[in-house]
Amino acid sequence: MSESKIAGLHRMLENKEISCQELTQAYLDAMERDNGSLNAYVTATPESALETAAAVDEKLARGESIGLLEGIPMTLKDNISTDGIRTTCCSKILENYVPIYDATVWKLLRQQNAVLLGKTNMDEFAMGSSCENSCFGGAKNPHNVNHVAGGSSGGVASAVGGHLAVYGLGSDTGGSIRQPASFCGIVGMKPTYGAVSRYGLIAYASSFDQIGPITTNVEDAAIVFDAISAYDEMDSTSQGRQGEPVCRTLKNDIKGMKLGIAREYLDGVRDDVRQAVEQAAEVYRSLGAEIVFFDLPALKYALPVYYILACAEASSNLGRYDGIRYGYKAESYSDVNDMIKKTRSTGFGEEVKKRILLGTYVLSSGYYDAYYKKAQKLRGTLVSAFSDAFRSCDVILAPTVPMTAFENGHAVSDPVETYLTDICTVPVNITGLPGISVPCGYDAKGMPIGMQIIGNSFEEAKILNAAWQYENAARIYKPSDFGVKL
Amino acid sequence: MVTKEEIMKIAILSKLFVADDEIDGLTEDMGKIIAFADTINNAADEGTDFDHINHLSNVLREDVVVPSLDREKILANAKDSDEGCFLVKNIMK
Repeated sequence: MSESKIAGLHRMLENKEISCQELTQAYLDAMERDNGSLNAYVTATPESALETAAAVDEKLARGESIGLLEGIPMTLKDNISTDGIRTTCCSKILENYVPIYDATVWKLLRQQNAVLLGKTNMDEFAMGSSCENSCFGGAKNPHNVNHVAGGSSGGVASAVGGHLAVYGLGSDTGGSIRQPASFCGIVGMKPTYGAVSRYGLIAYASSFDQIGPITTNVEDAAIVFDAISAYDEMDSTSQGRQGEPVCRTLKNDIKGMKLGIAREYLDGVRDDVRQAVEQAAEVYRSLGAEIVFFDLPALKYALPVYYILACAEASSNLGRYDGIRYGYKAESYSDVNDMIKKTRSTGFGEEVKKRILLGTYVLSSGYYDAYYKKAQKLRGTLVSAFSDAFRSCDVILAPTVPMTAFENGHAVSDPVETYLTDICTVPVNITGLPGISVPCGYDAKGMPIGMQIIGNSFEEAKILNAAWQYENAARIYKPSDFGVKL
Repeated sequence: MVTKEEIMKIAILSKLFVADDEIDGLTEDMGKIIAFADTINNAADEGTDFDHINHLSNVLREDVVVPSLDREKILANAKDSDEGCFLVKNIMK
């Protein structure tokens, strides 16, 4: 096969150069061969994948036309509910949980005969930046398996970067789509809060969580975003995509587009990462875009604000795991209270417990005003600061992560140091804005570097357009050696 | 500075047990995280009122009964159920 993009595979299916069953089988065989090295998938669904593929082949045999995503093999992060398919959040507390309904995003894709190959690895409850907080062990980086895939959607990024799926859906609460996409040298987009339904996404921090695409290229991200961004009455914060499909404006000229660089985003970023972003700015200049520098002092509040608010919401959301209605339940206990405590203490991993404790602390009497309320007000400050920034530029250019993928087991042991890796990604979640990570270089060891393009609310079309133009001009993407051979 | 006693109290509120051999490490980690969170209290910025991302307001609809999830299917995920209900140890003696 010489094609790995959605539109190309779609043409091959339509022209009967390959059957959907052959395409699906190629991915299933690659999973069989390579998942042992990458640990991207935690549940494989070969039977239902081949069943869907057979249905697509029958349609094609009858001469019917098929949709763009029809018959394309893909994956979902294991916190997106799939009716009848185990969904674990990579936590012991949900190890045998089988949802009885579909998340809206999966319902939308399933209706289009998307071929689900399986569910992918993640940090437990999406809490982490290395995927190593998974009860199944971490997913590995397809560019070098001695390095992490990133997190929390590490499994999706590893699968897509390792060609064990054409595309996947992840979730992004503080960078969980963009950071692993950056580490694995691929594309990941966090849409505007409300653009994509959260119904059926197992909650971490509800005012931050957003589902989005992880793909090898910008065009695929646009295709998938168009397919999943619809108003949904099942999510009270849903607004759907505002405006026409983003695919229509993807390749527009960007002459005169203003790209802003906030100086604070480059502070403390590793030299090679900063240089790669600066080189990307040069590429933009050569395309006729204008680069404007500005100050965004409120950025210094972003990380503590994020951890206070996200953990507060998590402590409330994770209150539902009591062993009574679903999930793991302690074996022996004296009374109901003891049962709930034992269930939670054994079922949750260390990082999850730490965040529940922090969240409970900042919400508890005596501390609420100093932490939660103050953080909420600074969230307002950040929202205004970004809103002001978009008066002088169309999109903002920034690094995705201050470094590249670290080696397995080398996530920093100091908890605050670990959280600092999220410094460039959390502002977008705090403000609800859309952000996309695209590859913009490689470090001395060959590990990918990513940059982020941030847009104003519901301006996915603009960031995808800017990302596509850069990708097309710079040609940075290098496929990894794993998976279906291209 | 966060104390062991505070961590124990928060653990009770969170319905979590903290083992004796975990408490020292956890207190140290939490101390670091809370000291970091505390940086916002040194902010000269008073902040701006924040209602909700995208300034959403409630969406109202008619209260119409629509099909819901099947009881048997819901109970299938519970470790213990009986006569169409979730089963827990008696709460009142």
